[in-house]
Amino acid sequence: MGFLTRAPFLLGLAFAAAACGPATESQGPAAAAGADLEFSGSWSGLGSRHTISLGGERYGSIVDLKGTMLLTGPGRPGVGFQSEVIGLTDSATGFQGRSVWTDERGDQVYSELRGEGTAAKNRIAGTILSGTGRYAGMTGSYEFSWQWVMEGEEGAVHGRAVDLHGRVQGGPAAGGSPR
Amino acid sequence: MTTGMRIKRAVPFALALGIWFFPVPAGLTAPAWHLFAVFAAAIASVLINAFPLLTASMLAVGAIVLTGTIKPEQAYSGFANSSVLLVVIAFIVAQAVVKSGLGRRVSLFMVSRFGGSSLGLAYSIVLTDAAIAPAFPSNTARGGVLYPIVLAVAKGAGSEPDSESRYLGGYLMFCSMAGLAVSSALWMTATSANPVALQIVQQAGLEIDFGKWLLASAVPSLVAIALLPLIVGRLFPPRVGKTPEAPAAARKELAGMGGMSRDEWITAGTFVLMVAGWIFGNRLNLNTTSVAFMGFGVLLFLNVITLDDITKQGDTLVTFLWLAVLFAMSAQLNELGFMGYVGERLASGLGGLSWTSLYVTLIVLYVLIHYMFVSQTSQVLALFSVFLDVGTKGGVPLPLMAFGLLFASSYFSVITPQGGSQNIIFAASGYLTQRELYKLGGLITLAFLAIYLLIGSPWVYFVMR
Repeated sequence: MGFLTRAPFLLGLAFAAAACGPATESQGPAAAAGADLEFSGSWSGLGSRHTISLGGERYGSIVDLKGTMLLTGPGRPGVGFQSEVIGLTDSATGFQGRSVWTDERGDQVYSELRGEGTAAKNRIAGTILSGTGRYAGMTGSYEFSWQWVMEGEEGAVHGRAVDLHGRVQGGPAAGGSPR
Repeated sequence: MTTGMRIKRAVPFALALGIWFFPVPAGLTAPAWHLFAVFAAAIASVLINAFPLLTASMLAVGAIVLTGTIKPEQAYSGFANSSVLLVVIAFIVAQAVVKSGLGRRVSLFMVSRFGGSSLGLAYSIVLTDAAIAPAFPSNTARGGVLYPIVLAVAKGAGSEPDSESRYLGGYLMFCSMAGLAVSSALWMTATSANPVALQIVQQAGLEIDFGKWLLASAVPSLVAIALLPLIVGRLFPPRVGKTPEAPAAARKELAGMGGMSRDEWITAGTFVLMVAGWIFGNRLNLNTTSVAFMGFGVLLFLNVITLDDITKQGDTLVTFLWLAVLFAMSAQLNELGFMGYVGERLASGLGGLSWTSLYVTLIVLYVLIHYMFVSQTSQVLALFSVFLDVGTKGGVPLPLMAFGLLFASSYFSVITPQGGSQNIIFAASGYLTQRELYKLGGLITLAFLAIYLLIGSPWVYFVMR
């Protein structure tokens, strides 16, 4: 019975360990310097949103979301990042934001975001400006759409972005990236 | 302290340090990994009986703030969480029901009708919950309604917490707690997590209304309700079998109680208004916790409960402290991306399985991951769409995958005492030890998993074709 008591916890811990895996630094396929490397992925985040009415149907919101970005593809700059976004949405003019991705070493990637920011047209485009550590000098671009954004408990906002595609130049993938 | 106990107490620290100093996995940040180390150690310490939950959570919150893993305002955010506060207030209001004498009256009424056996009492409570559930969008509030009744029945039968007589009370408490998990799966409107999950299902292209939900849930949920008191009775015998004389004795005692006293009328009236506020709260834009605070205030104002009564509620303070800390730690694990990371990595690593194997594996993983969550809705928001996506892309029919996850999002709540805020009211009653709660929670969750997979899945597949 003792084992049965702990079995779900031990299984959960084992699954968590399996999911996390070791922080390996295997070499990726070498790419020519300056070549574009493509990646795709998903992003789930939660945070807060404060909305004010701007008269009539128009409204403005500030959002602050933090979450997990997991990437796939030969050109991904990393397996995944903690991604944080702050931004301003105006239902009439669209979305402007800034994002920082942080990896397991604390190295960061900085980007600007821009998009329509409406439910019907929620395609967001990002421009990677620079980074620190192994991402120093990296540039690129990416796009994603919100699959859903909804209010959760205690006024928190949750969102999941899918169809995330991008490309980078000068990233660690060009010279061997963390996979 | 024995050497065995010393070793036992060293294990959580070793686990915490082992995970902490293990290289941070690619894709996670150091704070998320370190918080997981402390959280896992805190839960492990309770499971192996090294520390009580209060001790483990106090050490954990001290460690994560002092090491700068998370900010103090994040670590203490659970103390202002409305679900945590609702649990605390519901717990105190339940004491008013007992103190006023109303609880005794309700208890005698229930024993007079169903008190021929402990099994009869358990069924009456579980079925009452299932019957009122569709009207209550908050299962925490529903727990607040049921708890005073269960407490009164247990005390009325001579079962007191922390004593040899506690087994009947513990049995009834756990049946009620697990019953809430099943009734939340039975009805679409029985918990706030269901509408949230339904929005995600709708985004995936499946419309589910009240009738369709009930059609899919009825068979596995009713089987679970039918088996629950029997299974819990085997795992945690109430040590009170048949009591054929009890109904007649209760009827006699009830008749001897006379009319309702002033305090009973006030408590009953306040309770009815609170229940109405919880049922119609969404429509009237009333905050569920504020309804509980107002009811508590009225009972204080009219001297049904006094400040002296509150000062004796030491157990409530203990519950408030550990619950708030665990709530905040779990929320921060989610916010730091740990939950999403684990879920996405696990789910996306299941390629190549047949759709039936994929379906079963996803549901099992989804249920087990709830060990790390303190809120049903948080897990729904963090992982539901990930698992739904992976399942449907792997060939699992959308209705089957959707309903499998929808039901799991309710019945997994009993896996730990903190797995749903509605559990806490019962878990903090003192009738069950933390270790018993974890043991029963794990085993009953496995039973629910088996029922919903083996009976529910074929049924849903059949009726949703």
